[in-house]
Amino acid sequence: MRVFLASPWIPAEWVRAHGLESEGIWFAEAFRRSTPPLSAGNCAFAENVVQFAESQADAAVVFPTACDQLRRGYDAAVFRSSARAFLFNVPATQTPAARRLYRAELERLGNFLRQLGGTTPTPERLGAELDAAGQVRSALRTIAPFAEARSLARAVARFCRDGSLAEPLPPTIPKGVPLAIVGGPLSQADWPLFDVIAAAGGFVALNGTDTGERILCPTWENRPDPLAVLVDGYFDHLVDVFRRPNTGLYAWLQERLSARQVRGIVLWCFTGCDLWRAEWQTLREACHLPVLLLETDDAAGLAPRDVSRLQAFVETLQ
Amino acid sequence: MNALMPKLDLAGWDRRYAELQGRGLHEAAYGGPLRRHVDRDRDFRLEQLQFDGSAAALRLWNFLLTENERLHQARGRGEKIVGTMKDLGTVPVMAYALPGLRAFYPDGAWWTPCLMEGSDQLLQQAESLGIDASFCPVRAMLPAFQNGEHFPRPDLLICSTGAVCDDFSAIAQRLEHLGHAIFWWEMPRRRAPEPGEGACVLPGNLTAPSIQVDCVRLELERVRLALAELAGVPLDDARLADGLRAANRVRRLLASLRQAVYAAPAAPLPALEMLVAEMLAIHFCSDREETVAVLAELLAEAHSRLRRGHFVSGAQAVRVFWVNPVADLRAMNLLEDCGGRLAGADFMFSHALDLIPEDLPPLEALARTALADPMVGPATDRAARVVRECRANRAEAVVIARIPGASHCVREGEIIRQTVRQTLDLPVIELEIPPVSDAMLPALASRLQAVVETALARRSK
Repeated sequence: MRVFLASPWIPAEWVRAHGLESEGIWFAEAFRRSTPPLSAGNCAFAENVVQFAESQADAAVVFPTACDQLRRGYDAAVFRSSARAFLFNVPATQTPAARRLYRAELERLGNFLRQLGGTTPTPERLGAELDAAGQVRSALRTIAPFAEARSLARAVARFCRDGSLAEPLPPTIPKGVPLAIVGGPLSQADWPLFDVIAAAGGFVALNGTDTGERILCPTWENRPDPLAVLVDGYFDHLVDVFRRPNTGLYAWLQERLSARQVRGIVLWCFTGCDLWRAEWQTLREACHLPVLLLETDDAAGLAPRDVSRLQAFVETLQ
Repeated sequence: MNALMPKLDLAGWDRRYAELQGRGLHEAAYGGPLRRHVDRDRDFRLEQLQFDGSAAALRLWNFLLTENERLHQARGRGEKIVGTMKDLGTVPVMAYALPGLRAFYPDGAWWTPCLMEGSDQLLQQAESLGIDASFCPVRAMLPAFQNGEHFPRPDLLICSTGAVCDDFSAIAQRLEHLGHAIFWWEMPRRRAPEPGEGACVLPGNLTAPSIQVDCVRLELERVRLALAELAGVPLDDARLADGLRAANRVRRLLASLRQAVYAAPAAPLPALEMLVAEMLAIHFCSDREETVAVLAELLAEAHSRLRRGHFVSGAQAVRVFWVNPVADLRAMNLLEDCGGRLAGADFMFSHALDLIPEDLPPLEALARTALADPMVGPATDRAARVVRECRANRAEAVVIARIPGASHCVREGEIIRQTVRQTLDLPVIELEIPPVSDAMLPALASRLQAVVETALARRSK
């Protein structure tokens, strides 16, 4: 049974430790194949997740509670279909109660996975999954500052698909204006964005989207209880826009923006995503950089108007 | 003999006020003619509204419209101001259990653009602060904090997060980035207990896993400490239990008022005044004791009218259950203009209407009540309650008011609509109501008339 995860903060290691296949939904083949009809205020990403969940006959989808759209998307999916779906409560705060809740959610997800045919993981099995994922994340974190954007995106996608490490990424000597992309998930269909930026005279020095370097944050401490390691590894290193307060996101960004001498930020935002859209002005103020908001709502890639905006943005930074 | 009580416009209320004064009207300290809210506070929307003509309604409106002024006065007396955000009915119960604290919802600024008919420019200012029209009108809160022209800047800001609207969470986070420190507390997304899992009964015919109740209780424990530190007085269980009992007094009054008005064969009080009255439940409009007095007077008025057969709508008016508060107050008048009347409502805070259990440790009781919030659980739970209340009050139609830009409205409307249709076979309509809906009134009226006519046609079958 394949289990698709709609949030990077729901541990794939946990699913695999139960003997099931796990995959980040963003890179699934059937995800975002078409443009869904959207009513006003509907988040395009959430709608795609709902439609994907409804279409899966032999797979399950785990929704996060991280945003209203996905949380209520789960409601819609189970209301109008027999989708195999699970809603995982990813806390917004980092209080002791929230940590306890996160651990309890992992245990509850374990029950769900067993219902799907999974097996209770032994500490050794879970430890091995943690080791494997930890090594790949560490390798990707090391190479990320020097890797070409599309190659890194491909490597992260592979990690999200099956937990493995792609072939070694050659370091590149970037040319042009260093930019950061920050925001929601950047699926494979969106990767031409890298080419558009390159053609305009820039390069992506930091991929801070939901499918970029931020998801490499979970790290393990050496402790005897692997479930506690998993809980702390994710809970303490979760860097995302929905955290309250989301100062951790800005600390993470500022360190990397400065180190990589980024000169502009592209805010990648799905139509209807309030959480990222609301950060536009704060990004400008906190990072002291120009920010270009790019909205997407379909699988057709960048609209010509957005290509022009992107070109103008890079041109002004040259 | 039944009589139809005419509603009054503002000019009508000028005359009515003089008449009541002539009869020796006794008012609270915040009393006065409604007109002054237009002249002094630029609440121009009042000129477009139709009001109930009773002294009880006058007191209700004056209470509502003087809230900011009363908060400033409280600050002047040395009281501490607590801004509580999003939880709609939980933290204020705790704050009012302590002496010298006054809690209010800055969220309430969402009605300011309506009341001032946009003359405050709050929505435009919100846009300049990075929050545009793709967000719900609660964005008005942001510039209201910045310019200080409305409510006083709170001494402590507390906001629930987790299973809350994205709009609100995003706007509150923006507020914090602008320099307003926020005490965040976690609200998990409520779910049904799983087989074999420890469970707790919640108000509102709900259950939740014990672990979620524990989570909320622990979070409220942090809130308790923060409030006690601000007040300089410990918020012990005895004090909190007193606070819960006082809140329940308000809730009992509201329950009686709702029963009297919504279950009556014709409406003894108008929809607009009922919306405002229900809103008092969430933070007592910044004065818990006065809320009791205001509601008691309204209830007495409703009972008196029922005895005398005096109603604000005819017996033929279609009994409508209303879902969600309206950004434009005028929409409640419109319902009655179109031949409807309220026969129940879910204005998004049904957990603030339910009695808080008094037979549990007080923080546990409050945690269970907070977790019963219709906005933190599945839309199917909310839909089930709508169905129950429609049945109880013999509703003939359901109107779901969409709040422009609100993230929760996208999905829940569909689930409520389908559940009501499948379970009760009632006509349901969704309306999006902007803060000043004048330009859309004909379209809104058409839709309301359509649902009213459909309900009327069903009577004859």
